Amino acid sequence: MTQNADKVIDHFELFRSSEYTEMLANKKCMFEDPVPTKEFERVKEWTESDDYREKNFAREHLVINPAKACQPLGALFVALGFEGTLPFIHGSQGCAAYFRSHFSRHFKEPTAAVCSSMTEDAAVLGGLSNMIDGLANSYTLYKPKMIAVSTTCMAEVIGDDINAFIKGAKEKGSVPMELDVPFAHTPSFVGSHITGYDNALKGIIEHFWNGKAGTAPKLERKANGKLNFIGGFDGYTVGNMHEIKRLFDLMGVEYTILSDASDVWDTPSDGEFRMYDGGTTLADAANAIHANATISMQEFCTEKTLDVIEAAGQETVAFNHPIGVEATDRFLMEVARLTGKTIPDSIRKERGRLVDAIADSSAHIHGKKFALFGDPDLTLGLAGFLLELGAEPVHILSTNGGQAWQEKVEALLAASPFGKNCHVYSGKDLWHMRSLLFTERVDFLIGSTYGKFLERDTKTPLIRLGFPIFDRHHHHRSPVWGYQGGLNVLVKILDRIFDHMDQTTNEVGKTDYSFDIIR
Amino acid sequence: MSTLGSKIQQVLNEPGCATNQAKPSFDRKKGCNRLLAPGAAAGGCAFDGAKIALQPITDVVHLIHGPINCEGHSWDGRGAKSSGSNLYRTSFTTAMTEQDIIFGGEKHLYKAIKEAVRKYNPPAVFVYQTCVPAMIGDDLEAVCKAAAKKLGKPVIPVNAPGFVGSKNLGNKLAGEALLDYVIGTEEPADVTPYDINIIGEYNLSGELWQVKPLLDELGIRILACISGDAKYHEIARSHRARAAMMVCSKAMINVARKMEERYGIPYFEGSFYGIGDMSDSLRRIAQLLVERGAPAELLGRTEAVIAREEARAWERIAPFKMRRAGKRALLFTGGVKSWSVVAAMQEAGLTVIGTSVKKSTLDDKERIKEIMKDDAHMFDDLKPREMYKMLKEARADIMLSGGRTQFVALKAKMPWLDINQERHHAYAGYEGMVALVSEIDKSLSSPIWEQIRKPAPWESSIAQNEFAIHVA
Repeated sequence: MTQNADKVIDHFELFRSSEYTEMLANKKCMFEDPVPTKEFERVKEWTESDDYREKNFAREHLVINPAKACQPLGALFVALGFEGTLPFIHGSQGCAAYFRSHFSRHFKEPTAAVCSSMTEDAAVLGGLSNMIDGLANSYTLYKPKMIAVSTTCMAEVIGDDINAFIKGAKEKGSVPMELDVPFAHTPSFVGSHITGYDNALKGIIEHFWNGKAGTAPKLERKANGKLNFIGGFDGYTVGNMHEIKRLFDLMGVEYTILSDASDVWDTPSDGEFRMYDGGTTLADAANAIHANATISMQEFCTEKTLDVIEAAGQETVAFNHPIGVEATDRFLMEVARLTGKTIPDSIRKERGRLVDAIADSSAHIHGKKFALFGDPDLTLGLAGFLLELGAEPVHILSTNGGQAWQEKVEALLAASPFGKNCHVYSGKDLWHMRSLLFTERVDFLIGSTYGKFLERDTKTPLIRLGFPIFDRHHHHRSPVWGYQGGLNVLVKILDRIFDHMDQTTNEVGKTDYSFDIIR
Repeated sequence: MSTLGSKIQQVLNEPGCATNQAKPSFDRKKGCNRLLAPGAAAGGCAFDGAKIALQPITDVVHLIHGPINCEGHSWDGRGAKSSGSNLYRTSFTTAMTEQDIIFGGEKHLYKAIKEAVRKYNPPAVFVYQTCVPAMIGDDLEAVCKAAAKKLGKPVIPVNAPGFVGSKNLGNKLAGEALLDYVIGTEEPADVTPYDINIIGEYNLSGELWQVKPLLDELGIRILACISGDAKYHEIARSHRARAAMMVCSKAMINVARKMEERYGIPYFEGSFYGIGDMSDSLRRIAQLLVERGAPAELLGRTEAVIAREEARAWERIAPFKMRRAGKRALLFTGGVKSWSVVAAMQEAGLTVIGTSVKKSTLDDKERIKEIMKDDAHMFDDLKPREMYKMLKEARADIMLSGGRTQFVALKAKMPWLDINQERHHAYAGYEGMVALVSEIDKSLSSPIWEQIRKPAPWESSIAQNEFAIHVA
């Protein structure tokens, strides 16, 4: 008996018992027509070769393990950052379920979103009636202050006119005429989640600033000295937003964060379910037009949005997920310049602490080789920090990074002696990265949870920095922005370096002569 | 305490210690046991020194008799590496409590020794005295003697309670314990004309292993290394060596001298740091062995190895030398001999603009003077505040020092490289010199030093302008 009703063993243990290992081996040998082990090994080794790499990079049609998500995910991220806002996905419900679980697995929090549940009928006849019923039901059931509509491929393929649909639905009385229902076209087959972020935020800003789809007068901008802040699609948004607010408060900056999901993904367990929590108030979203300037932390997440804001008369400044001393310096000095505020001594001290910490530990990072994958802005921010630490990035890959991103990373690398041996790969996937890691070895890999397969295959230790992080909890609670955030990233990198050192020196009687207390 | 008292007098008046012999007779008795100024930050104690000296013996139980702090803070604190047993890294202590202090800790200690022997069956137990049991009068020697008799195992009392003096004194008292209780108590199975002892080498970061392959190649056997990567029986049999090398100039000079006195083993003081020193040491080892009867052809073989290794090391250092020529270094070393490191730095193309001579002998100082051609930059005992000031003004490119001064260096915005016991790179031998130069190179090229020397960019208008240019 392999399984016993008195003590049922779970998958971690069950199939390791000899009954199963023998049975599975026999089954494989007798019924599965397996390739000989030697042949299997030969092919496995071949996938690690330069020859295979060349073929891998010649791959044109098949994408294997892409490190990107789709537009509606980004749209959802934006919508969740506004007060009492219900994200409404016009399209298939499967998509909506994916987005919600994707976020919930990362943030370990419920993620509210509804869907117009388009079916075959809707695909043939158009999704108007789904929109009408959907808006009415979600408004009645969940009482949102705003419904932010985005689309999935299905609606885009049949060409649903969302603007007209929303108007039509309002005319049919499914929701009050004055309810804010901004929208964005966010097909999966164009761009990635960062494009969706851009489109959705642009949609909401245009809605409030440009007369709410013709139902209100366009706003007249009267500069009020305030600063708008856009975080971009950011897996660390909970920690980062807290940190940014703290820094702004220390500097005395008057600010509006445009889309702030840090509360709704950080609700307490106190007996109350909060479907909505925190976020940018709708009044603030409208009044943001009067700000002097807008800062975006992620250029490639906000390209079109910043165009709209600039067209409204504001100065805009975009960063690339700034991490580390110099990047944070630049960010804070821009904040100081745009607001006329000074950077207080307390922040200067935080800076000194980060510099001190880097100096204390730099010997362990300095000269180490890194591979890096992730969203365009994050890879830029992390690459900048690595160079600052004296680490040597060797492969930087972004599936959703384009030509502009590639050029920007290459310029960053060219400016540092530590970047000279690094290559940048835009539009490539993690199977490409696999070849890179086999043929040009690095010491550590930085990326999201999906990097763990690369870690397993290539034995390159993974440092989890990015989105999504599914298999480690609560990383999103600690900031990576600000000097404090730089410190967190530094510690994360160092921890892995030391863990790796311990893991490779812990065999009793063999390698443990270097298993040291002090590192 | 009378035996301990006389022991201390004896080691303090060490005839083999050049510094001590250079002093007038009155001062000589005080020895190197300088009294620490109360209120000034201080170094380690005699117990710490004793433990540092003996803990690298890998296969014995090191049992610390005292309250938890003594062992709690020194447990595996040094990177002395072992090629065999890891027992020395397991922490054993009596962790005395109030009851022990009221009623005496001897019984507790005896039971602890017994338990350690039963559970681990080590070749020996080293028992360390600390301040508290020494003050309440626990008779360590008596307990160890009784335990040894009853348990049929060597139980070595290491009588160096912290309050008797400095770390250096503790080193020497530890050496005395070896001389009194260990060395010469067993006979080796075989002896060869190529047997040597290495005294005062602790195999930190595995440095002994950078040297050993060359000795192996020459057919020279390390009968015992005292105490790096040592096994108890090796030290017990070490009195049959033909010659000895004293590595750390002051720590265990008494062991080397007394072994010469008692067993006729000639010794020389040498260093494995720096290419020239490494070669000299190999040469001296070969010479001493030949003088004691080893075949003279050893000399020729040694020279051949030296020539080959030197050439290989220079070749590997050359690329760094080009890049690092003219860089200025400040040295604050502890036990590592300053002059040998100074020479090593110069080999790497660095200019040494100052060095500490805290633990150097007069002879050492003379050598430094010779090498540096200027005695203005030798510092004796620098307080952190003075060091900080000096670093800020010195404008050196890098400082090499131990872990404790690291933080002073960093606050003074000084690039820093660890060359003391908590370092993780081995710098001994030819191989180590290449590693050291490569580490210096790495440290000098770390971008953080540029950052650490700059104020926050918003702080000065000059910096701000530079910054603007940089951004643009």
